[in-house]
Amino acid sequence: MDWKRTREPAGAWHMTDDLHAEQGKGDPFAAAIRATRMSMIITDPRRPDNPIVFANDAFLRLTGYERHEVIGKSCRFLQGPKTDKSAIAQIRDAISGEADLSVDILNYRKDGSTFWNALYISPVSNDKGELQFFFASQLDVSDRKRSEHRITADKDRFEKAVKERTAELEAALEAQTTLLHEVDHRVKNNLQMISSLILMQSRTASDDNLKRSLSTMLERIEALSTVHRRLYQSKDVSKFDVSDFARDLISDLLTASGRSEISPTLDLEPIVIPAEKATPVALMVNELVTNALKHAFKEKPDGTRSGRIGIKMSQPDGHLNIEVSDDGVGMADANGDASFGMRLIKSLARQLRADIEWRDAGPGTRVVISMPNGPQQKGNQS
Amino acid sequence: MIGPLKVLIVEDEALLAMELESLVEDAGHSVVGWATSLAEAKDMVDSTRADIAFVDIHLTDGPTGVDVAEYIGDRKNSMVVFMTANPKRIPDHFAGAIGVIAKPYTMNGFTSALRYLQEGVRRPPPTSERPAGFTLSPAFETVWAPAT
Repeated sequence: MDWKRTREPAGAWHMTDDLHAEQGKGDPFAAAIRATRMSMIITDPRRPDNPIVFANDAFLRLTGYERHEVIGKSCRFLQGPKTDKSAIAQIRDAISGEADLSVDILNYRKDGSTFWNALYISPVSNDKGELQFFFASQLDVSDRKRSEHRITADKDRFEKAVKERTAELEAALEAQTTLLHEVDHRVKNNLQMISSLILMQSRTASDDNLKRSLSTMLERIEALSTVHRRLYQSKDVSKFDVSDFARDLISDLLTASGRSEISPTLDLEPIVIPAEKATPVALMVNELVTNALKHAFKEKPDGTRSGRIGIKMSQPDGHLNIEVSDDGVGMADANGDASFGMRLIKSLARQLRADIEWRDAGPGTRVVISMPNGPQQKGNQS
Repeated sequence: MIGPLKVLIVEDEALLAMELESLVEDAGHSVVGWATSLAEAKDMVDSTRADIAFVDIHLTDGPTGVDVAEYIGDRKNSMVVFMTANPKRIPDHFAGAIGVIAKPYTMNGFTSALRYLQEGVRRPPPTSERPAGFTLSPAFETVWAPAT
């Protein structure tokens, strides 16, 4: 509040003419109140309707009234149609309860214009505790109210804008998700159709070599299908669990093929690779396993071709190691089809920057693939 | 020796239905009908007797496979297995179906599933291992594959 002293205007003493209280002329506090820039009034609650008995110049400047227009009147003339009813009620309660009150209220000037009034009311009692006056000060806080309103309006506008943008983004995301599901659905159906076409062709083929070729092709397509099925069943389509794939693959190749005499040995750590590596890794594992199944095991005198096939996956220090082993006849008996498979494996290994090694396991063969699969490889895939 | 199954195929893709029929018959079972829409499937269900129905979710008249499963479930005249590329569209209660074979399935995967289902239908619960790519519904999970 601004209590800075200003020069007292001539005749200011007359302002206290209506005051019946003990504040006398020449009182420096009364002089200060008359001259301050803070608008102040004093009302007399002992008279009917609690009329104004003193108003300083600042009050008259703020409200636009002449002194004779306000002295003897109730303060109600400051209220207007837009004045908040609850603020009026608070003032009424403070007066009747003889209590302090601080409230922001919309008041009207003589010319009908409005201003926000930070009103402070305080009861004044004499030494005996009897209520003498109410003291009230008025501060024009229209600027503060305007910026409050502006901030509220800005906040509402921003909130609305954010809400609209969020709704747009959510709609875009939903459209994208729908599209992804649609594409995923078509890819799966098409893979299924490719498999069906190959199978149908194979049924009508009379040549055994052609049948074998088609069957190998079907296995490769089905390896891709299994990758796609597993990839889009998981929650995160950017990651692929290669151990789960290996489990699926080996059970798929063994259970229905009637090769129950071949026992699988699986030693699989749960290993996750980036989705873009899923297909080449899956195709490589498929080649190695099917190759072992077809060529590693010689027919025994009882007509069966028994043996053991093992898949081991581990990830020591940022590498993925895949080991496919069998206890069959070894590498010497590789035939023509296997050599295409070999080329396929070597090309895929190059794509994955994998080292691949064929070892004579005596008996059988052990193929070891080792490729980088650390977090340092993220975003560095071709 | 367990008796062979009578199979109803509800699938809108002719190619897939054809191949499915071959696989079913190769395994010693028989196909009693092929429907491509909800209406056809209803007719087929009312006029034939199948042990098991393989039902795609997406048919020629939209995603009506679930309705087919419910129609079959109401009549209790065969069991249902969904075959779909979009297993997420299957309701949580599976509309009473045994489970789902997710597309793309492999030839061996389907043949294994057939054997597993044959055991399950003829002499429940099935004794062979549940094939990869075949998921049981929660209801059948508790009956056919209770946690040990």
